[in-house]
Amino acid sequence: MSQSPPQPVVAARDLRRTYHLGEPVHALDGVSLELPKGSFTAVMGPSGSGKSTLMNLLGCLDTADEGTVEIRGQPVASLSDGERARIRGTEIGFIFQTFNLMPRLTAAENVALPLVFTNPEGVDRRERAERLLSRVGLGDRLDHAPSELSGGQRQRVAIARALANEPALVLADEPTGNLDTETGAEIMDIFAELNAAGRTILMVTHERHIAEHAERIVHLVDGETERVEQLDSAGRKDGSEGSTAAGTGAES
Amino acid sequence: MKLGESIRISWRAITGHKLRSGLTTLGVIIGVGAVIVFMVLGGGFEENLVEDFREDEAPVMQVVTQTEPEGGFGIRFVDAPIYTERDVERLSGLEGVDYVAPDGSISAAQLRYGDGQSAGGSVGTFSITATNPEAFQGDAWEIVQGSAFSSEDEAVVNEALVTLLGGDVGVGDEITVRFEDGREPTFTVSGVVDDETGGFTAPNIYVPVDPYYTLTIVGPDGTEQRAYGTLTVAAGSVTELEAVQDRVQAYFDEESDARQLTEDNQEIVVRTTEDFVDQVTDIIDQFALFLGGIAAISLVVGSIGIANIMIVSVTERTREIGIMKAVGARKRDIVQLFLVESVILGVIGAALGVVVGLGAGYLGVTYFGWPMAYPIKWILIAVAVGLGVGILSGLYPAWRAARVDPIEALRRE
Repeated sequence: MSQSPPQPVVAARDLRRTYHLGEPVHALDGVSLELPKGSFTAVMGPSGSGKSTLMNLLGCLDTADEGTVEIRGQPVASLSDGERARIRGTEIGFIFQTFNLMPRLTAAENVALPLVFTNPEGVDRRERAERLLSRVGLGDRLDHAPSELSGGQRQRVAIARALANEPALVLADEPTGNLDTETGAEIMDIFAELNAAGRTILMVTHERHIAEHAERIVHLVDGETERVEQLDSAGRKDGSEGSTAAGTGAES
Repeated sequence: MKLGESIRISWRAITGHKLRSGLTTLGVIIGVGAVIVFMVLGGGFEENLVEDFREDEAPVMQVVTQTEPEGGFGIRFVDAPIYTERDVERLSGLEGVDYVAPDGSISAAQLRYGDGQSAGGSVGTFSITATNPEAFQGDAWEIVQGSAFSSEDEAVVNEALVTLLGGDVGVGDEITVRFEDGREPTFTVSGVVDDETGGFTAPNIYVPVDPYYTLTIVGPDGTEQRAYGTLTVAAGSVTELEAVQDRVQAYFDEESDARQLTEDNQEIVVRTTEDFVDQVTDIIDQFALFLGGIAAISLVVGSIGIANIMIVSVTERTREIGIMKAVGARKRDIVQLFLVESVILGVIGAALGVVVGLGAGYLGVTYFGWPMAYPIKWILIAVAVGLGVGILSGLYPAWRAARVDPIEALRRE
């Protein structure tokens, strides 16, 4: 439609976030990042490098001391608490290391939870939850409680929940951290499928072989961008390679 | 977030901890139940009393003197002899008045009957009332045996006196009464009267005013005449009652001797049975309210219980709150969820409390033989209180829940 370069889904400029714990800790010290539509970015770094802080800022759970975050061109710093909550519900899909499902709700109800709060017009929640759960291979587990599901199944439910509102960005925080290698690989296969279908993904991890599923890796050290590594198709893992890696992991 | 959704999610949380939720609502159940029990008992007693009065509804009114004691509460009746013989005569001449029966008490010391048995002192107290034979004409005092006295040698006794004397006295028997002034007349019992009006009547002997009632005062016109503490005035029919009551009241307010004999803070009141019933039910209402108020204290305890369990629940569910915030819940959604939960606890407690209260109240009134009363007003109030208790005790926990920092909450294990 337009000749100008397409607007990135998320644009973060010069983000700074300082925690005051006795002495000031610069969790993020001037990080800029653009996530084009349909991109798959991994963020790596040792603990304390600012990965989680970056994710909280991009996910509108926290606000930066300096710098700006724009989601689909809209700056979020000036938004009210309630408006940021609304953006979390409609534009961001969170996937956590510990799954974070509501223990008393069924799989389908968990998937529909964002719809409960954002309440979009003309959406049949049950129908959408069924469709999303089928897409992650859990069409036969709709009414199971999280406690009746395995770790990998719970993470699939979480992925389906993250997609419930057709978010602009899927934010995954160590999505395979609590899973065995094989199950982790299956989850990464789903990520690859989602990305192939045009979904924009940002994934935080400290495992190189997981990060290699992305098209580029942003390396954070001490709250600053150390380097950005572009992975060409040769260096990038696709789903089958992930499975191979899982196989070796299982042997060791 | 739609209300229906929050009810569904909150209900899930409540049923997730059945024992805990049950114990929490127990406080409210007991509080509301206790209030309802007292209201049912009060209402049942009241209806029982009113029914008794309705049964022997008579076009009769009483003329009494009452005063509001200085620095005190309520109303006190004064038994001062201010209703003169002249007042009685003039009242009898008022339009619509059927008869006027004076009600003068005579102090008595002793009673002998049968074979020299005596009452008074150890047997129990009784009193003597001087009145006119007309007093027994109305429906209020029903002669169950014999007839009214027709001479000064005859007297009417009430059923309570017969009971007092062990049933040994009946129509035709002789009783001898020793008055405090030393006279000792002997009467033949001419009739037994049922003078019960709504419960408690003391043993009594009715004797003719003439010649036994000797209390006299000097009236406003300078003549010495008999005077009584209260009067009973009967209208010709129930339909005339109100009009006659107005006329009698007007007479006392404007031209009676009694008016001039009252002291400054005293007031002459003409009461029908219905006025009396109103007064008594007022007192019962207030008493029931007082007991209900004490019972309501347990409601406060109940609401503290809800607040307590909600605070625990917020702490336990911090992580869930974080999840909900991450997937788009606003502060007001969280507040709504927790408020709905505590309101559900409060309302369920109140509803069960109403059921328990009605049940216990039913057992109570059945035991006493009173009619069952359904205190609709109090049931509505109980449900409203349940709502209020839920909201009040949920406010602070809900506020704490809304303030949960999602980053902190999600980091928890």
